[in-house]
Amino acid sequence: MARFEYLEAHTVRQALSMYRRHAPNVRYVAGSTDFLIRSRMGNWNPEYVVNIQHIPALQRTSFSRRNGLRLGALTTVQTLQDHESVQTHYPALAAAAASFAGVQVRNLATVGGNICNASPAGDTLPALLAFNAQCLSTGPEQGEQRSTALDEFFTGPGRTVLEPGELLTEIRLPRPEPNTGSLYIKHSPRGAMDIATVGVASAVTLAADRRTCKDVRIGLGAVAPTPIRAYAAEGILRGNEITPESLAACAEEARNTASPIDDVRGSAVYRKEIVGVLTLRTLERAVEMARDGTMAFETQRRLAVQAAF
Amino acid sequence: MTTEHNVLGRSLPRVDALDKVTGRATYAADVYLPDMLMCKVLTSPRSHARIVSMDTSKAEQVPGVRAVITGNDFPDRYFGSGAVRDRRIMARDEVFYIGEPVAAVAADDEVTAQEALELVEVEYEDLETIVDPLEAIREGSTLVHPDMPNFEGYGFAMGGNNCTLLDADRGDVDQAFRDANQVFEETYHSQAINQGFLEPMACAANVEANGRLTVWASTQGPYQVRAQLASVLDIPLSSIKVNAMELGGGFGAKLRLAFEAFPALLAMKTGRPVKLINTREEVFTLNGPRLATTIHLKTGVTSDGQITAREAHSVFDVGAYLGAGPNAGVGHALGAYDIPNFRLRSYGVYTNKIYVGSYRASGVADMHFAVESHMDSIAHQIGLDPLEFRLKNVVKEGDANVSGASVPANGLLETIEAVKEKMSLPRKSEEGRGIGISLGEWRSGSGPSTASISVNEDGTVSLLTGSVDISGSDTSLAQIAAETLGVELDQVIVAKRDTDMAPFTGPSGGSRIVYSQGKAVQMAAEDARDRLVGLAAERFGVPSEALSCEGGRVYVQDNPPQSLTLSQLAAASLTSRSGPIIGMAALSSMPYAPVFNTQAAEVIVDKATGQVRVTRFVQAQDVGVAINPMGVEGQLEGGAVQGIGRALSEEMQIDPETGRVRNPSLSTYLMPLAIDMPAIENILVGVPSADGPFGARAVAEPPGFGPPAAIANAIYDAVGIRIKELPLSADRVLAALQGQDGDEYHIDVEALKKAETG
Ligand SMILES: Cc1cc2nc3c(=O)[nH]c(=O)nc-3n(C[C@H](O)[C@H](O)[C@H](O)COP(=O)(O)OP(=O)(O)OC[C@H]3O[C@@H](n4cnc5c(N)ncnc54)[C@H](O)[C@@H]3O)c2cc1C
Repeated sequence: MARFEYLEAHTVRQALSMYRRHAPNVRYVAGSTDFLIRSRMGNWNPEYVVNIQHIPALQRTSFSRRNGLRLGALTTVQTLQDHESVQTHYPALAAAAASFAGVQVRNLATVGGNICNASPAGDTLPALLAFNAQCLSTGPEQGEQRSTALDEFFTGPGRTVLEPGELLTEIRLPRPEPNTGSLYIKHSPRGAMDIATVGVASAVTLAADRRTCKDVRIGLGAVAPTPIRAYAAEGILRGNEITPESLAACAEEARNTASPIDDVRGSAVYRKEIVGVLTLRTLERAVEMARDGTMAFETQRRLAVQAAF
Repeated sequence: MTTEHNVLGRSLPRVDALDKVTGRATYAADVYLPDMLMCKVLTSPRSHARIVSMDTSKAEQVPGVRAVITGNDFPDRYFGSGAVRDRRIMARDEVFYIGEPVAAVAADDEVTAQEALELVEVEYEDLETIVDPLEAIREGSTLVHPDMPNFEGYGFAMGGNNCTLLDADRGDVDQAFRDANQVFEETYHSQAINQGFLEPMACAANVEANGRLTVWASTQGPYQVRAQLASVLDIPLSSIKVNAMELGGGFGAKLRLAFEAFPALLAMKTGRPVKLINTREEVFTLNGPRLATTIHLKTGVTSDGQITAREAHSVFDVGAYLGAGPNAGVGHALGAYDIPNFRLRSYGVYTNKIYVGSYRASGVADMHFAVESHMDSIAHQIGLDPLEFRLKNVVKEGDANVSGASVPANGLLETIEAVKEKMSLPRKSEEGRGIGISLGEWRSGSGPSTASISVNEDGTVSLLTGSVDISGSDTSLAQIAAETLGVELDQVIVAKRDTDMAPFTGPSGGSRIVYSQGKAVQMAAEDARDRLVGLAAERFGVPSEALSCEGGRVYVQDNPPQSLTLSQLAAASLTSRSGPIIGMAALSSMPYAPVFNTQAAEVIVDKATGQVRVTRFVQAQDVGVAINPMGVEGQLEGGAVQGIGRALSEEMQIDPETGRVRNPSLSTYLMPLAIDMPAIENILVGVPSADGPFGARAVAEPPGFGPPAAIANAIYDAVGIRIKELPLSADRVLAALQGQDGDEYHIDVEALKKAETG
């Protein structure tokens, strides 16, 4: 592990000014669950580390039916799992959080860190994509703010649109639509403490007739250089009647969208094979939830880690 | 369990439980000495290369660095961890795998030592590399060690890269195959695996004022470390003391000299204590794991399902050095079956990758997966129930085992019956669900064992053995001593041992401690008891036979109130003719006592993703007599968990071009978690062994080797596919479900036979 200077910021302004003073070899850390590993492996060697964990403005989480969900960048993954409004209105996100690592890591890991780390396998990312998340960030120079759709946020593995020194401050999820169901399923050899071989989140909104798909959004993880939306697949279902055939056709198209690689966690061939399976399963469950209302969180959690099949 | 016993057969808490759960137990990494330095090791980034030059001067100049050593600082000697002396403790002029140590630094702290390592300049010249053992065994292949025939200890093998060859033969195999109604041939492959112990290797070394070297080691074999360290440092064995510290798991990985020589030499150079603690990555890249094995089996069967002949050829990857073994699995190619004719061969092959080490039931675990999958496969092909086919062929009392010894009384059939009943077999499950069984044999471990027992003036008993506790064995040994001497468990003090204090004993491995060391403890306790009784007989003026030693006293059987407590006797002994009470015992080997284990796994297969989940796991083992049933169940359960991990998710991924370990981390080397485990149901069968202490048999290895075959067989039962390669990962299962040919490995048996006959 390399040596570095450690600084703690207590406001966003302070964090940004610490960055300016010591730029460019500065790294922000939140839960440090990615940072400590990369640093120990020698991949990240900043001269200065600015800990943003103690900035109260980034810790707030709120929900209203009008404005939807607002997650401060420091919201922990454990909070996502336990938050009643997340469980009720954004179940795929709560399920994703429940499938994430183990409780010790979830208590440290932040949603902002998961986004900024931009791993194609980041567990919260497919669900956040499926809920049309917006990322609010503040640049280091004038403190200028901007909002970026999560879908445009990732530029490659480990790369985002954030400029050097720019801080992600908040994630916004639009208000929940009625008659919506959603689920995340993560495939990994172990039932916990494992990175996704493939992760899929689907959110389905039914029309008043409860048969037609009013809207559908599908987020895919670990099958492309970044987490992606399966737009073409969504197009097959949106506005059409939900039938076993239409769901299967949608899942098949999601499979075609995937362009996975071989790595220590799985082969490209295998990933491609199961992304369709997981898409179909998330869609079926999402439709079920949209029709019948909520599903017990424990059931969702078990489905998310494939403890039940 | 037996009722006439007082301490034996009871699930008493471990004697070290409180120290361990409160964090008071001291491990090698917990050793802190004044002025202690920290050591880090530089390793080779090349698979096979000549070291052209090395320059440590920049590293030596780093403030805080106290010494840097390379291979040239060690005496010019080879040593061996297995049968062959093929290895230097630190590379001198050539490296043979990625990860081979080339230099070590002692500095004031670890970060400084690490920074200094990065300043060591090594120039390499690459040599040809061979990584695949099935290619390496072919004639004309690139050689890992061209000078192999000159290695001390190299004996009977084919040459080339083949460094060991084990064989076992009986009867006329070829004729038996011709006479058989059907002959089945299959090839199985088991993957490279890490032992997965929790405590990374650590050691500390210090040169004492009198010039002797003290080592604090995380080891299963302190006497082995002492001997090998003396050899590589070229100093007298008697100048070394090894403290065997508490052990956080070993599973065979800590049986021999590991890295103790680096801090030792650095301590000798600097005159200061030096400590080395492995990182988890180093656990995967520096210390010998179990490497892949490919096994070809051929079996002849009569029309009524009787096995007449078996042929086995197994090729096991040794890596750069024979770090263990040679492969113990060859005889286990018969499984737990009576097979009249056989030809069994096992070939160890050098390749350019990390050297092989031992792992719980080394070799046997690989062979067991092959044999028990093959048995299942044959049963289905000839239309017999897998259990029935096995029962037709199992060994029985009086049969000759693979080495010709007569199989003694045992509980094999009882273990099969117990599992059959618990699982309600035979039973047809619904589609996608299945049950598989496997059964196997282990031989209770033998080897030199010693014990000494002294009775203290307060009536307590001090037990001294040289054996390290890796499994709760200290508690079982103390129970044996307590039972024999008629005292309570808390009256027995188990001494922490070092090689100066305790008499020589074999390493803690191969399930030998309770069976062999326990026998020595029992004999030593009997010796002490005889002395106590003798002293009391003298005092009472009655013959020894008229006395009993029980409940902390020696009393006259016909008149129990006439008695002396152990405390009174011990005090009296100090001035008696024969002196203080001590009992001693030593033995070199123990008779053959088989241990049989039968297992059944119930699985669900997700046909769309290939994911396999074990929903129930039942096992029965003939343990002879359970000295401590809770400890025995702990071993059975732990073994099953390890075996399930080996079956489903564990695999050291080795780069096929370079031999590099691609997943040296617990986030990518996937050991199972509690969440992945079914409930494990254990049944203890008790057919006492003739010679073990109180009839005990070994326990630890058998539960670990059964799960891969049981689970593979359950997958077959569930979805009708036979997976012949480990692990039984989702992608492999899915590919097989989609009809892809899973036979990934081939052994050229004809070529091997030809090479043998010349
Ligand atoms: C044992 C273990 C298990 C894990 N399991 C999982 C898993 O199951 N699923 C999964 O998705 N991940 C997993 N991870 C990875 C990691 O926990 C997540 O990516 C986590 O969300 C990162 O959050 P953090 O707050 O710890 O980030 P940090 O490590 O603090 O930071 C990560 C990166 O993001 C940047 N960053 C953080 N916050 C901001 C911000 N507000 N603005 C700008 N940049 C920022 C940092 O500069 C850094 O580059 C695991 C990690 C470990 C150690």
